[in-house]
Amino acid sequence: MLARLGLEPGDEEFYAQQLSGILGHIDRLQELDTDDIPPTAQVVEVANTLRDDVPRPCLTQEEALANAPAAVDGFFRVPSIQEEA
Amino acid sequence: MTDPTKLGIGELQILLRSRELSAKELLAAHMTRIDEVDDRVKAFLRRTTELATDQAAAADRAFESGQAGPLTGIPVAVKDVLCVRGVETTAGSQILRGFRPPYTGTAVSRMFAAGAVMLGVTNCDEFAMGSSTENSSYFPTHNPWSLDRVPGGSSGGSAAAVAAGEAVIALGTDTGGSIRQPAALCGVVGMKPTYGRVSRYGLIAFASSLDQIGPFARSVEDAAILLRAIAGHDPLDATCSDRPNDVQNDFDAGVSGMRLGVPREYYEIEGMEPGVKAAVEKALQALQGAGAELVDVNLPHTDYGLAAYYIIAPAECSSNLARFDGVRYGLSDQDAGNITDAYMQTRRQGFGTEVRRRVMLGTYALSSGYYDAYYVKAQKVRTLIKRDFDAAFAKCDAIVSATSPTVAFPIGAKTQDPLAMYLCDVLTYGGNLAGLPGISVPCGMSESLPVGLQILAPQWREDVALRIARAYEVASGVKAEVAPV
Repeated sequence: MLARLGLEPGDEEFYAQQLSGILGHIDRLQELDTDDIPPTAQVVEVANTLRDDVPRPCLTQEEALANAPAAVDGFFRVPSIQEEA
Repeated sequence: MTDPTKLGIGELQILLRSRELSAKELLAAHMTRIDEVDDRVKAFLRRTTELATDQAAAADRAFESGQAGPLTGIPVAVKDVLCVRGVETTAGSQILRGFRPPYTGTAVSRMFAAGAVMLGVTNCDEFAMGSSTENSSYFPTHNPWSLDRVPGGSSGGSAAAVAAGEAVIALGTDTGGSIRQPAALCGVVGMKPTYGRVSRYGLIAFASSLDQIGPFARSVEDAAILLRAIAGHDPLDATCSDRPNDVQNDFDAGVSGMRLGVPREYYEIEGMEPGVKAAVEKALQALQGAGAELVDVNLPHTDYGLAAYYIIAPAECSSNLARFDGVRYGLSDQDAGNITDAYMQTRRQGFGTEVRRRVMLGTYALSSGYYDAYYVKAQKVRTLIKRDFDAAFAKCDAIVSATSPTVAFPIGAKTQDPLAMYLCDVLTYGGNLAGLPGISVPCGMSESLPVGLQILAPQWREDVALRIARAYEVASGVKAEVAPV
């Protein structure tokens, strides 16, 4: 549900079996003592790169909407997000 | 004149500059080659003939006016994960079918600015997830050396196109081995740069802390020329370094006096084929003969690399792939009654089995209650793996091993067993987790199929990896050849 994958009947069993095998391998990580080890999220020295806050050219509204499956009045159109009262 | 589809950049530039060969003729020769072999190899998803024709005409004008750059007129192929303005780019997935990017990514832009002529878009595993190109939602690509075998993956189309003489050079991407492994299996040169060496702007993201764009070629020199053309600082990617573009320094300096680390763990890895090991050991002798010293090093956490990778990469992918929701681009279920159903239906129809598997794995690893046990644990093990490399590089200039424990395997052999497929990259994950540059160069054949030698160097030392690869190529006389398709 969380990942909005839209599983079909039978999918759960299929993936559960495969993912159990993969997680079985991954469980070997628990063999290692990592209490005093810091986590690594990225490996190079570049950090907190900021640019000057200066406007620069960007996509036009038309370009941004060019790939939209459905657009109306310059907006992306989506199905209703609330039940009608 | 020699068939130009067999030549490298240096030889072609001589012919092009002397006007003995026009860019238009060179393009025509490659289009003919593609027409002849690609119904069997299936490296290309799409041809960009109009763009190529315009670029070749511009290249010829550049030669006439003396304005030619390092890649002027050179026919190239581009993996289906790199955005090119107006050219359908789908990451091998149905969910992006019909997507035409509104801009061109930095690596491709720089390649174009250097004069390249784009032949087309190459096949790959869906969202670059796979080691055989069989996860493409379109069709599998075939290994030019043996058509019933896989080309490796995920950049299998780019590797096969270069191996088959359909393109001189190509761009791929490498998140866990996706340039180096297909290069090894197709008998060409492939290089993953240091994380941060090449801008990822315009790359459809898979795992953002691991992804890098890099070159395929049939010689180390051509790989170096393409890498130099695309490398360097880019304000559009905050992780792209502003270090100097020194990748080709001391290219021909040889390996005399260099220390090459031989990690026992990489030679005793489970599933290592004797023929692969023998070819790599012969390559070590050639490097020794050229003056290098071999030193034993250890990478004690090698057996944990795959496990750490298959938490970190799926975690990042589950986050990155959240954007494919059918609202702004690509496939969209327009019949759903509400937004949640629209997301569900779009993603059910658009994502293939491996992508769904990884999104599930990543979502699970990041979910509350499992976050520390899986995701943080994997990040800590990533630290241990990086420290292994730091310690090894204190004793050597680079690490040499096989790129893949096996040669190319038959199509269909591993599709039912995801873990077996994941083990294909057991020698390459480390380079991504530690952010290292790594190159695979052909080092002979086993069972009539190519074997790759992997050279891993410290961060930012592409120059060292390329210099050793070049010295090996010269000393051994083993050079990538066009496969006789």
